[in-house]
Amino acid sequence: MPATAAAEAPPSAPEKLAARLSSGEAGESLLTALREIKNQIIGNRTKKLVYLRLHAVPRIVALLSAPSSPPPVIVQAAAAVGSFACGVEEGVRAVLDAGAVPHLTMLLSHPDAKVIDSAARTLRIIFQSKMAPKYDFLLEENKAFLLSLLNSTNENITEFAASIIAHSCEKPTEQTSLCDAGVMQKLVYLLGGSTNQRDTCLDAISAIVRTNSDAAAKFISIGNGKAFNSLMGLIQDRYPRTRLLACVCLITVERAFPVYFQEMQIKSKLIVILLDLIEEAGRVGDDAPFVLKGLIEESEELHRQALSVTAAERLCGYMRKGKAVLEARRLEGILLVLGELSSKLEQSRAKLIELQVPTLVIDLLKHDCAQVRTAACCVIKNISRSLKNLCAGRFGTESTVMPLVQLLCDSSTSVQTSALDAICNVAVNLTTKKSVLLQCGGVSTLSQLARSMHSEVRLKSVRALRNLMFLLDRKDKDFIFTELTASTLTTLISDPDPLVQEQALALAGNFVDGCGDSTKYIFSEDISILNAVSRQLKSAGSPGMCIQGMSFLANIAAENDLHKDAVMDCILPVSPDLNISTPNSFLVNFLQSKERLLRLSSLWCLVNLVYPNHKNSLRVSALHSAGIISQLKTMVNDPCLDCKVDPFPLKEFTLRS
Amino acid sequence: MSTRKMIIRDEWERKLKEVKIRKEDMNRLIMNFLVTEGYVDAADKFRLESGTQPDIDLATITDRMAVKMAVQSGNVQDAIEKINDLNPEILDTNPELYFHLQQQKLIELIRMGKIEEALEFAQEELAPRGEENPGFLEEIEKTVALLAFEDVKNSPYGELLDMSQRVKTASEVNAAILTSQSHEKDPKLPSLLKMLIWAQNRLDEKAIYPRINDLSTAKLEEPAV
Repeated sequence: MPATAAAEAPPSAPEKLAARLSSGEAGESLLTALREIKNQIIGNRTKKLVYLRLHAVPRIVALLSAPSSPPPVIVQAAAAVGSFACGVEEGVRAVLDAGAVPHLTMLLSHPDAKVIDSAARTLRIIFQSKMAPKYDFLLEENKAFLLSLLNSTNENITEFAASIIAHSCEKPTEQTSLCDAGVMQKLVYLLGGSTNQRDTCLDAISAIVRTNSDAAAKFISIGNGKAFNSLMGLIQDRYPRTRLLACVCLITVERAFPVYFQEMQIKSKLIVILLDLIEEAGRVGDDAPFVLKGLIEESEELHRQALSVTAAERLCGYMRKGKAVLEARRLEGILLVLGELSSKLEQSRAKLIELQVPTLVIDLLKHDCAQVRTAACCVIKNISRSLKNLCAGRFGTESTVMPLVQLLCDSSTSVQTSALDAICNVAVNLTTKKSVLLQCGGVSTLSQLARSMHSEVRLKSVRALRNLMFLLDRKDKDFIFTELTASTLTTLISDPDPLVQEQALALAGNFVDGCGDSTKYIFSEDISILNAVSRQLKSAGSPGMCIQGMSFLANIAAENDLHKDAVMDCILPVSPDLNISTPNSFLVNFLQSKERLLRLSSLWCLVNLVYPNHKNSLRVSALHSAGIISQLKTMVNDPCLDCKVDPFPLKEFTLRS
Repeated sequence: MSTRKMIIRDEWERKLKEVKIRKEDMNRLIMNFLVTEGYVDAADKFRLESGTQPDIDLATITDRMAVKMAVQSGNVQDAIEKINDLNPEILDTNPELYFHLQQQKLIELIRMGKIEEALEFAQEELAPRGEENPGFLEEIEKTVALLAFEDVKNSPYGELLDMSQRVKTASEVNAAILTSQSHEKDPKLPSLLKMLIWAQNRLDEKAIYPRINDLSTAKLEEPAV
């Protein structure tokens, strides 16, 4: 028979309790009210918000410094303030606005040990928030105060000191100043304390060594490598949180002082530990994949290493097992690791395909959380960055393309842009089958997005259309062009963003490639497109833009005389008054450019202009008088083989002149 | 015919004797068990008799046990207040534990037949937890469902009223307090015994030897040939 609970008094209403704080009550009654408020708000977000609206925080903070407050009242008040600052942003703000930090700091030298304890604990909680004030370590008195805190025997105080460092130490001067003051040794010593203290100290050490090679070297040298060895021990600690923080700290040291980590061994160990941590419950497991992604970022060697310790298998297995129940943040993290793994090595992509990651990831494109959708797009983008898989038509299928196209209308811009990235890759159709993108409304959505206010969205949609346009048959090219319209393309060529200009010109180049009668579109609307191209080339913007512009002109110049003359007008505009060509055509500059591709595309344009009847004296003499022919002569010994040998008609062409 | 190696009792005992285990380590293992499980009087006696120092202030055990007892006897609000006095961070940083305590409080109200109060509490206190964390919704539904039955004990979720539910909540509280004190939440002894069983099972594949079958006496059984 279970024991019966004693009758408990019903809790008082927040309004009444809050009123009792300011009605000048003292003694037992005040203490009871404070205690009850504290017990109502701890763990209870809703109640915290209720008391915040009742402006209870400033009244409680005032009790911290009131000369009449006896220690038990201060202890309860400090605990309540700490709870307000825990987990609720509005609460932290209220506590800071009420000026709690200086009051609490004063209390650290209170005669009552319980007061010190609760003040230190509350300060530590406050400094765990990003909103806490930054501490100026360069002030001597602050530094001395910090050192006195670190020397305390009270763990709440030392933890507070470490939290200040973890929160505030950012600039190299601050890092150096703390190192010089012996703070690092102190923190290393404190690593030997309780779990909580150790965790905070690991955070603080990471803050001091972050991107600072001197500080990292100092850490490594402490006690002839003893500190480093104890850190190596902590990455295998019993407590998952300690393991994670130790991994972060070690990675930070490695980033700051890479020479010390030439061997793969440590990094390989870190990968294995982080993979294990992903299976831990709570925040540790949620944060672990992000740390792992940071570790292997941009390193083919570490990607290979991760593959060799079956990272792909483990991550997939874990995701498959827990897809329905996994926290969104953890799912996002795992996807980001998979995306990172497949960003460089074909071997990784093959592995992920073998593990059927694409099927898993496509499901997640419909996940409720925007960050998960973004990360899923990133995986598809990176796995599909593979010529082999594109040739096999693996990603052009309806099941991949349709959900991606749907994401183009997502309410989150980051989802939109990452879906565009993925579409850019899957749009490259190297199979004989017709691209799904042409059939599912994708072209019309991409054309709309090409008119977006966001330059990133414009850029990526134009790039996707450019890739889609590549090697299409005439009918489909015309379809895309009609959806996009000549006027939009003209606007895009003159876009304020040079990257958009480049992609728009490349899109135009792909459109007129192997063109037949496609150029009729280019000559529509008073040759506005050609005018725009000519204007951009004259302004000599980015080399990328010029290369694409010249390729576009080269493609047009491959057609009949009418086209060739139009291109001539582009490169040698006729001055209306004097009826002579402007002497220094941009083409001369292009032919002298350091950019090999720019010289090459310019040459091709010239070749196409004079081919097949290079004896057509009109065009040749115009080029001659513009100084282009003499420029060509200097290129007989061009360092680039393509520019020198190819195209063969140049030889005759230059000899004749 | 078995290819396993045969080890007779004498040889086995001789081998066991060759393994030196420090008395202090054994004592610390026992102290760890007493402290973690909260046997404060026994821990104090053991400290006096063996000279083994506990790795935690014994006074904190008394506090922890008081909290545990409060939950086990159904005084949940009392337990919550005691936890907050001990360390106000525990319930602020363990939403799941806080929820389970609130849930237990509702269960106790239902047990006492305070239906109106229970309904009010469910609405005012438990419902917001479900909003803050949808993962709790299912458990809230189960608990509130108790209100729908005349004969609560024999209802589908009647097990929530069992003592075992209180014990479950109490041990969750115990573990959280230990963790906040940077102490392991489980004693080492049971995991050592688990390792013993695992090691014996592995060894069974390779050898026949005097096994320990009864862990409470640790008697070496004659190998069955």
